[in-house]
Amino acid sequence: MDKGGSSTILIVAGLVLTLTLFVLNISIGSVYIPVGEIFQGLWSGEFSRSSWETIINTYRIPKAFTAILAGIGLSISGLQMQTFFRNPLAGPFVLGISSGAGLGVAILVMAGSAFGFTFFGGGVGIWATIISATVGAISVLLLMSLTAWKVKDSMTLLIVGLMFGSATSAIISVLAYFSDAEQLKTFTIWSMGSLGSMDYGQLQVFLLAILIGVIPVIVFLKSFNAMLLGETYAESMGVNIHRLRWAMIISTGILAGATTAFCGPIAFIGIAVPHIARLVFKTSDHRILFPASAIIGAAVLLLCDAVSQMPSSAQTLPINSVTSLIGAPMVIWLILRRNFSKEF
Amino acid sequence: MSNLKTILQAKDLKLGYRKGPKETVVAENISFELKTGELTCLLGPNGVGKSTVLKAIHGQNPPLEGSLLFEGKPLSSFDQTDLARKISVVLTEKITSANLTVGQLVALGRTPHTGWLGRLNPTDKEIVENAIKATNTEYLHDRRLSELSDGQLQKVMIARALAQDGELMILDEPTAHLDLVNRYEIMHLLRQIAQTRNKAILVVTHDLDIALETADQFWIMQCGAPLITGLPEELVLQDKIDQLLQSDQLYFSLVSGKVQIKAPSPSIDVKGPAHLIQWVNSALKKKNISTQTLNRHFSIQILEAPLRYEVTDSSGKTMHSSLTEMIEHIQKSKSSII
Repeated sequence: MDKGGSSTILIVAGLVLTLTLFVLNISIGSVYIPVGEIFQGLWSGEFSRSSWETIINTYRIPKAFTAILAGIGLSISGLQMQTFFRNPLAGPFVLGISSGAGLGVAILVMAGSAFGFTFFGGGVGIWATIISATVGAISVLLLMSLTAWKVKDSMTLLIVGLMFGSATSAIISVLAYFSDAEQLKTFTIWSMGSLGSMDYGQLQVFLLAILIGVIPVIVFLKSFNAMLLGETYAESMGVNIHRLRWAMIISTGILAGATTAFCGPIAFIGIAVPHIARLVFKTSDHRILFPASAIIGAAVLLLCDAVSQMPSSAQTLPINSVTSLIGAPMVIWLILRRNFSKEF
Repeated sequence: MSNLKTILQAKDLKLGYRKGPKETVVAENISFELKTGELTCLLGPNGVGKSTVLKAIHGQNPPLEGSLLFEGKPLSSFDQTDLARKISVVLTEKITSANLTVGQLVALGRTPHTGWLGRLNPTDKEIVENAIKATNTEYLHDRRLSELSDGQLQKVMIARALAQDGELMILDEPTAHLDLVNRYEIMHLLRQIAQTRNKAILVVTHDLDIALETADQFWIMQCGAPLITGLPEELVLQDKIDQLLQSDQLYFSLVSGKVQIKAPSPSIDVKGPAHLIQWVNSALKKKNISTQTLNRHFSIQILEAPLRYEVTDSSGKTMHSSLTEMIEHIQKSKSSII
């Protein structure tokens, strides 16, 4: 907490990197637009071709902002969970929140053929997807809260979360088995994740959700530092564990739930980014780690999205596959590089 | 030592856990007083409920019955932050945050005193530096916790508790897993902190001899009996220390101030300087060598400069340069007879 200087430099460097990746991100796509043209267009609001303006303004910029918000949401919920559970492998997927959202969407898309009834008239429009994902995430969240209220031990909560995740995955599999090919495809595409399906209206709602989700983190910032020494020490230093646990569940629920609702499941960002932040900033101080994770999360997801565009190709890869392909080796590397628990 | 003040007072506590209508009583008849400026050691066998007593004092597990007063007011009337400003702890829990530096760890002790961001003001910083100084750990200031030895880690944890700056400090087996020198250092450090900083310090420990040497007060806990409190030496003289030893085989020796095995002292004729005799006797005792077990008489004379041992028995005199050699000789002649 005395190395404020170098941390500030790193934060500024991270912001510059994120900005660079933002520009890189919006300059990459199936249609080639010169970078100079983009700068000029953004500056003056006038593009030399109207198709470029449409591509940049209605597609690439919302997508880049979505990447930034999703990166922030997932990383911050991951960091909270890792510190609270004192478990380096904790992440939004672990509490079953993402699976809950997945279940909501699965029911929306596939329950029709499985049970013979449909929600939203069977339509799978974007808002229907978002609402059912949110409902799914909140349901799992309520179940988890109920457990958290009964169970005092955090490790038990973590295991229960894992079991909820497994159970929802199993229900999704059952639904998938009974649904027809078209619906299965719709769900599978959702489960691959997508950053590019949002308009400005949805982006505003997403931004609001992320801002609300970050509030508990800011309020309890000091408590997260005390939690580094474990629950009992934290309590002995005046931290109300009960309140902190609720704040953590609500915050991760909103952040990870909203992200999954708007973008579909995006793996590994929540687990890997807090570790990168610890590695780069070499600190355990959450006053630095939270902003650091947010910046790195945004940067990593911008980069992953740029990679998924497969420069100089008209194809795009599913974002969830890209984050998994980059994230999984990274977590393995972190584990092998040194004792994971020591890094923590 | 002039301003001794009772800060914690317990009367007829009944401790345990309540789950619905069911009550599990762990310990009963617990009455005590804790004074500032004193080091109190809580001793007792494993599983007797020492941790439950700590949890009660720490407000985590309120007593089922009885009164527990902190500075004259019921402990339950303090909220968590108030309590955190009064009581600090050192637990047996292992700290896993290897990225923390010692300075940062000790600064965390200021948590209950700082604002929501946890920023340290100059007074906080001074208290942190003082705590580090008091535990002689300045040289560790910028080290990471993963680089510390167990003994250093324990001192740093004490510094953190000291920085929390309460009147009462509770330590749960701070000397477990430590080597002999560190055990002495930690206990003397605690004694020094209690006296110079006028803190009440309560330590759970199993190190009877170090506790006897450093503690101002002893609390002895045993299964199903009231808590015994008093001056350590007083308890020794009243034969109360034996209460700790729930075994027929052991007793506390007033002479040596140590726990010893109840066994007939070897009736062997050992002569020589008094301070050497006890060690020869203790070696023979371990090997179960005595006139009774050997069923014949022999004597040992200890000679100094150079140290050697002369054994006299029915077969005559033999000289040995080491205890091992001497014991081998005695055992050999023993087997040859039987």
